[in-house]
Amino acid sequence: MATHEEISASLQSFCEGYKKNSKLELMNRDWNRVIIIKASDIDSQHIMTLRNGELAVVQGVSDQNPDLVVTSDSETLADLFYGDITPTEPYMNGTLVIQGSEDDIVRLDFISLMIWGE
Amino acid sequence: MQLKKVLTLRTIVATSAGLTLSSSTFVAAVQVAGFLAGDAAWLAILTGGLLCMTAALCFGELNGMTPSAAGIRLYFSRAYNEQLALIVSMLYMVVIMGVIGAESYVLAQVLSEVWPAVPALVWILTMFSIVTVINLLGVKIAGGFQNALTYSLILSLLAFAVIALFKADFQLTGSLATGGAEGLVNAVALGVFLFVGFEWVTPLTEEVTHHRIVSRGMLLAIGILSVTYALFTVAMTATTPREVLAGSPIPHLLFARGILGEAGVTWMVAITLAASITTFNAGLISVSRFVYSSAREHVLPPVFSKISLRFFTPWTAVLTIFTIGLAISIVVLVTQRYLMLVNMAAAMESIIYALAGLAVIRLRQKMPEADRPYLIPGGYIIPSICAVVFTGLAMAVFASFPIVLLYITLGLLLCTWYVKVVVPKLKLCYQEKKTTTRPRRRPVSGEKTRFD
Repeated sequence: MATHEEISASLQSFCEGYKKNSKLELMNRDWNRVIIIKASDIDSQHIMTLRNGELAVVQGVSDQNPDLVVTSDSETLADLFYGDITPTEPYMNGTLVIQGSEDDIVRLDFISLMIWGE
Repeated sequence: MQLKKVLTLRTIVATSAGLTLSSSTFVAAVQVAGFLAGDAAWLAILTGGLLCMTAALCFGELNGMTPSAAGIRLYFSRAYNEQLALIVSMLYMVVIMGVIGAESYVLAQVLSEVWPAVPALVWILTMFSIVTVINLLGVKIAGGFQNALTYSLILSLLAFAVIALFKADFQLTGSLATGGAEGLVNAVALGVFLFVGFEWVTPLTEEVTHHRIVSRGMLLAIGILSVTYALFTVAMTATTPREVLAGSPIPHLLFARGILGEAGVTWMVAITLAASITTFNAGLISVSRFVYSSAREHVLPPVFSKISLRFFTPWTAVLTIFTIGLAISIVVLVTQRYLMLVNMAAAMESIIYALAGLAVIRLRQKMPEADRPYLIPGGYIIPSICAVVFTGLAMAVFASFPIVLLYITLGLLLCTWYVKVVVPKLKLCYQEKKTTTRPRRRPVSGEKTRFD
């Protein structure tokens, strides 16, 4: 089981990876989204916000309605945002649950692919 | 906390019915009527719809347990095992490609009838190119547009049926005279094809407020389609000679011309185009997303996970499906064996529904404590009926068309070989590449991260 801090660190790592790729900022400049990341086995929640191509992550509960809700066990979330596993495998076996439009889900996977590679 | 955008029941019904309505369903409807004596086609269609409702209930329970766009891949993986789920999903995708081939053939024949100077191949190429470009650009059919399109289609079909029945001063004769049990079973088996694709709406489960909406939407869509198809088929066979309809890939166009002349042809061409483009689009999206996600989990070569940096679409997967779909369509155009693909889809769909019924039973035994937001009432009765009846219907198709059994068996063997031999090699190759080129990023437990 991963800790809340480990999930926070993985999300920071994800953010850094995003910022290093200038193409991502350009490609997502029209994709303004609020994404909630929730651990199912520990008390941990983060809000990832994409606005005008810029990505930011904060801890805590969101006061606005999200576009996407990403829920999984803490271990999967930490591995996922560090890029040690692809989202597809836990998604296909049901460990990773994502609520939101299919296009948004695919877009999030594309971003992960561009940050971490295959 | 609620999602910003959620889909309504109206859109779920429209999507489920819209994905099911295609040009090749008219051909299948005529085949259904051909198995029966008198005007009993409605009986086979309504029975087919009722049976599909048992499958819809099973999909509803499975979808509630595991609400995911991964659909049957995930349900079957939990109920049976990962390998079987992958084999069945791959074969299903191949059959969907076949349906697209049959669909393109029918649509090309319709357009060639109206504009005979343009060869059918040009129409096929044009349609595939349009849908491929739409997919490459990432343009989606909006919910409101899908609603308008589907409900207009259904109303148009009902209007055609009512006009035809009034014009012919129709009297129902031999409405229950099926001409024998064998004919009825075959008609029902083929009647299942009329509803192929109603369950493709389950990926939208991540976009609704409650999973129950998807289950209800599927049932409503099947109910509406059952009545529409039953009326339309009875009207077609009552007003146009059966031998003319049965020998043609465009029975609905002949029917429309007979009822309303050239105005009817124009109206029917518009209906056919709308029905086909939505089916084409849905088929291309489903298969290309399956190819992309399979590549992402290293089940297919990594080349299929390439994405367009401009449009965020899996372009290699889309272009691959374009090439395969075009090749299948050309083969269908040359051989004119579109009915074989229709029968193949009916058999495959029956197998999928039988497996869904069994999956419900297995999961209730394997995971009795799992949360089930939607539970089929009546215990094991409905899932058992679903499993037994659809197994029987698949067998009926195989008995009537042994070539279908041969092709499905070959496909099954090929997919099994791929999953058991090639997939482990691809995964091993990926693991080796990953361990040599990319160390694990996440610090081991206890090690301080640079964010501490």
